[in-house]
Amino acid sequence: MSDARMSDSQGVVSQGVVYIVDDDPALRDAICFLVGSVGYAARACESAAELLRRIEEDRPACLVLDVRLPGLSGLELQRELYARESSARIIFITGHGDIPKAVRAIRCGAVDFLEKPFDDQVLLDRIGEALDASAAELRRRASRLGLERRLAGLTERERDVLRLVIAGKTSKGVASALDISAKTVENHRHNIMTKAGVASVAQLIVWATEVAHG
Amino acid sequence: MRTRAAFALALAALLACPAATTKNLVEVRVGALATLGAREVESDAAATLAQLNKALPAYHFTLMTGTKAYLTAAVAAHKIDFVITNPGHYLELKIDYSVTALATEQSLDGYSSAEAVGAAVIALDRRGDLQRLADLRGARIAAAAPDAFGLYAAERELRERGIAPGATSPVFSGFPLDNVFDLLRAGRADAGIVGACLLEKRIAEGRIGPDDFKILGRRNDTPTPCATSTALYPGWAFARVEQTPESLGAEVARALLTLQPGTNDKAWDPPQDYGPVEELYRTLQVGPYAPLTRLGLADLAWRQRYGLAVAAMAAAWWIVHVIRVAQLVRRRTRELEEAHELARLKDAQMEHALRLSLMGEMASSLAHEINQPLAAILSYARGCERRLARGEDGAAVREAIGRIAAQAERGGAIVRRMREFVRKNPARQIPLEPAEVFRDALALFEPTAAARDLVVDFEAPERLPPVRADRVQLEEVTINLLQNALEAVEGQAEKKVRLAVAQEGARIVASVSDNGPGLTPEAREKLFEAFFTTKSSGLGLGLSLSRSIVEAHGGRLSADEARQGATFRFYLPVVEEAAHV
Repeated sequence: MSDARMSDSQGVVSQGVVYIVDDDPALRDAICFLVGSVGYAARACESAAELLRRIEEDRPACLVLDVRLPGLSGLELQRELYARESSARIIFITGHGDIPKAVRAIRCGAVDFLEKPFDDQVLLDRIGEALDASAAELRRRASRLGLERRLAGLTERERDVLRLVIAGKTSKGVASALDISAKTVENHRHNIMTKAGVASVAQLIVWATEVAHG
Repeated sequence: MRTRAAFALALAALLACPAATTKNLVEVRVGALATLGAREVESDAAATLAQLNKALPAYHFTLMTGTKAYLTAAVAAHKIDFVITNPGHYLELKIDYSVTALATEQSLDGYSSAEAVGAAVIALDRRGDLQRLADLRGARIAAAAPDAFGLYAAERELRERGIAPGATSPVFSGFPLDNVFDLLRAGRADAGIVGACLLEKRIAEGRIGPDDFKILGRRNDTPTPCATSTALYPGWAFARVEQTPESLGAEVARALLTLQPGTNDKAWDPPQDYGPVEELYRTLQVGPYAPLTRLGLADLAWRQRYGLAVAAMAAAWWIVHVIRVAQLVRRRTRELEEAHELARLKDAQMEHALRLSLMGEMASSLAHEINQPLAAILSYARGCERRLARGEDGAAVREAIGRIAAQAERGGAIVRRMREFVRKNPARQIPLEPAEVFRDALALFEPTAAARDLVVDFEAPERLPPVRADRVQLEEVTINLLQNALEAVEGQAEKKVRLAVAQEGARIVASVSDNGPGLTPEAREKLFEAFFTTKSSGLGLGLSLSRSIVEAHGGRLSADEARQGATFRFYLPVVEEAAHV
């Protein structure tokens, strides 16, 4: 199961998609051509609305976005994606060194803010980083989702026990803290491992930490 | 002027005729030349007139005497019906006023009427140095007047003796002829010219001593008993003025020839041939034979002296006026040309300044616009490098190279449009497709609008008839209006600017409307004045220049009344030939 998930995770990375959103068809096409030249899947969108229609949220995504878009602007699109809790990472492209916009964009999680005409290597590096970040985000979400699913069957008492174990308490410590016998704690721990499908509570702790700190 | 004066005189004469008529007699006026004293002439002529009055009782002959000039004027103005004058004056009147001789006066002694008049050249008897006419070279010669007949007759004799008119100095005594004697006695002249027989007459009268004067060049070949120094010419003429009825002339002529004169009365013969007088005048080139200008001017001047004076004043005034007007016109024309040239230069300069300022507003947006194809080119080029490095099939690369070229052209077009827009060439109006010009203007302006998150609505038919215009100036007006609209909508929640072009009859109408705050009444009033502006920056030249430009294209720029926002509208006339298509 772990292997399957890992391979799934690798697959997500390789299937990352670069969306180029620019109202200038030539520039859109040119960036697609450049991005395509290193093997990324590239999709051109004319507007923010088109992107919102086409974006596949279950795949790592990088947006190469013109700040100045007709209709929904680049920054507005960024807010919209944030509201949707999208995993897509955004690289802004601008004609001018528009500092206030750049600051806002970075604060809202943009990967970078590149000025036209940009250095191709920098763009491709940033795209790579963005896709990695997006993939990591997707992985984290998947982990959290799996963990939540596994922990979904735990009783209230079992959750209390798990919380104390993660906090570093020994079985005796847990027993005294919850005012129950050590034997009962051991039973709870066994039930937790069985319900979450893990071989040891330690592994459970690693997962939980991953989900928490991503 | 001259004609009018003559007409007025003639009219006066006509009116005078019936008024002067007494006892139903027809008044006939006769003028006589006074070369001697008026009384003497009067007595001579009066005798003839008295006889005429007796012979022709239906008429009342009245006499007026005067100098040659006065009689000439009287003839010209038809103030007299007949004229009695010396042969020289008669010739002049015959040639100039077509008077006709009815009779020629006989010489005093009754010898002949054909050889009746001559002149005597006299000198004080005591002048021993003067014996012959040839002695008169360099002498002062007295005569009554420059045009006295005797002077002409004597001049001919002097000429024949090799003395040119310039070789003597003339002294004029004026009439009567007796003045000549006085000049000689006073020593103010060396010799004098008088009519033949005058000296004898005065001696007979006892007014001059028989030995006071001597005759120079006395001729012996003449039939007259009077001493004469010259050839003899036909006698005085009794002549009919042209306007006098020929029937009256015939009656008078008959009467004159049948008169029975008393001892001292004048006797009249049928008119003589005045050919010898004509020959004399022609030889001397005087009177009617004087070089045309001299005679013409002098004669005209006399005949029309009053009219001429008025005419001369009018002419002088007119000349001054014409010169003044010409000067004024020249000065005004020059001033106008200068002002026009200055205004044109200033307009051209300001118009160029407006374009530069508009370009300044658009420059950064246009830089962005040029950056687009540059960024595209760079991306294609880098992509090509990477694909080639990976050994990828060349089809995609070839396609990308084609797109690189297209993008380079796109960038070039923007630069060209910008350069064209700020060029400083003189305006050149040629037939243009208007929609294309407006599209070009919008292409220049759109990046600027986009930078302020504004999309300009553009509405134009697919095809429009051509207008004659300067492309850049038309773009300038359009961009200026768009720029104003852009600034007007700043701060509006939903910015709206619309450029619409349409055909309305023989005009292309373009309008730029915005949903800004609109125009205040004050702004509307001063909108097109130079240096009026509602903006914090800007010279306030845009609209006034735009209006000049549109008007230079035969159109008009105006601001519409609008409930919301502002609409500026201008029209341009469609090119004639295309207007019918």
